[in-house]
Amino acid sequence: MKKRGKHRIDRLLEIPKEVYSNESKMTIIGFDEIIIENFKGILEYETYYVKIKTYIGIVSLSGNNFNLENLTNDNIKVTGKIENIEFERLVD
Amino acid sequence: MLIKILLSYVIGYIRVSIEGYYIEKFINICTNKKITIWNLKRNNNIKLYFNARIEDFKEITKIAKKVKCKVKIERKKGIPFLLNRYKKRKIFAIFSAIIIVFLIVISNFIWNIDIKEENNQEIEGIYQDLIDAGLNTGMAKHKIDTKEIINKVRLKRDDIAWMGIELKGTNAIVSIVKAEEKPEIIDEQEYCSIISDKVGIITKINAQNGTANVKVGDTVTVGTPLINGWLEGKYTGIRYVHAKGEIQAKVWYTKNKFIPYNTTEKRETGNIQNNYSIKINNFEINLKKGLPKFKIYDTIETEKKISVFSDFYLPISVKRTTYKELIEEEKTYSIDEAKKLGIEELQAELDKELEEKEIVGKNINTYEKENGLEVYVTYEVLENIGTNEKIVF
Repeated sequence: MKKRGKHRIDRLLEIPKEVYSNESKMTIIGFDEIIIENFKGILEYETYYVKIKTYIGIVSLSGNNFNLENLTNDNIKVTGKIENIEFERLVD
Repeated sequence: MLIKILLSYVIGYIRVSIEGYYIEKFINICTNKKITIWNLKRNNNIKLYFNARIEDFKEITKIAKKVKCKVKIERKKGIPFLLNRYKKRKIFAIFSAIIIVFLIVISNFIWNIDIKEENNQEIEGIYQDLIDAGLNTGMAKHKIDTKEIINKVRLKRDDIAWMGIELKGTNAIVSIVKAEEKPEIIDEQEYCSIISDKVGIITKINAQNGTANVKVGDTVTVGTPLINGWLEGKYTGIRYVHAKGEIQAKVWYTKNKFIPYNTTEKRETGNIQNNYSIKINNFEINLKKGLPKFKIYDTIETEKKISVFSDFYLPISVKRTTYKELIEEEKTYSIDEAKKLGIEELQAELDKELEEKEIVGKNINTYEKENGLEVYVTYEVLENIGTNEKIVF
């Protein structure tokens, strides 16, 4: 359904990028909450470390007391004390 | 998605814990199979707690078996579980059902009649008339035809200007506006004369139409004709008219009171004893038996209907009987004191009654008696007297 590509009409109509492409949208609220849209799966989950795979790479969070809330098909909300966020870019 | 989660709080959800090494794998499989799980929390060990819907539990156990995890239900929440718990308590369920049915049935009846008069003017016997017209406590609501009741009562009584019945809960609110009493109006065309309605001395008489029957200084009693409703002419004979005129008279208002020298006055000591009883229709249950321990006491009874909500009255009322202890005190007055007391009391009463009238003079008389003092206070008042009376041929 979601393809990587350049849809000119979509861009023309100002449709958000995360809707028409597989690009992830990450919303960080304070230091305690992060919402990642368009994620693929969870690679690792510990209370102090979360590794989330997305279509563009891997997001790893470290901190403590991590909870996964609102786990749906393409959204994930992680709450807890985030101390470090790391990105690993996928190279085609 | 959020709605789905919120809905599952009603439908019912379970808190599950799984134990194993491939927890991430489990989560990924769950998301792939579109099983909603939320509020995931990982223990420091190899345990994972999460919420899931009831119908997904079978699938979850399958997945857990695949990834070699132990499944345990920690908590069950939601209405289905709550109902399940009460399945065992059959009597409780039966009684709660009975109570609900009872309340529904009872709410279809009228249990209280509230009569609200405008300006708090009391109308005598209106309650009895309402009952006669068909509004009574214990009647089914749908049987009450408010329009018909209003018509019936209004036909019966002529002192009601407006009336409305509102059924609110188990409460029937009857609002009434009292009609002002009107004196009998005699038509301008009809012949009438003016007669006195009080005892007094005429101070002014002015006949505009008709012939004056009394002079200034005459003493009149009730019923004395003041202005005759006819004119006599030498040539025309007697011609009847509608008498009109102004008559002012001096009228006396007297009040008397006997004040004994030695009196026993009752005074409240402030000691109160309350007895409560429950009243169901006419059946009374005393919660506390026995009479109060006071020697002399007043009893005050108050009854209060029990209401579940503000307008939902039940046919049960709580009756409170309050006993107030009294003490008798003897008091003696001297002649002067008694006189002063009597005059003060009587003057206050008269002043209140004759507020709007012109007071010309006051007269105070006292008569000493064997064991007390008789006080007379007389007020002299100037006022207009006279009422119309039809001439009957």
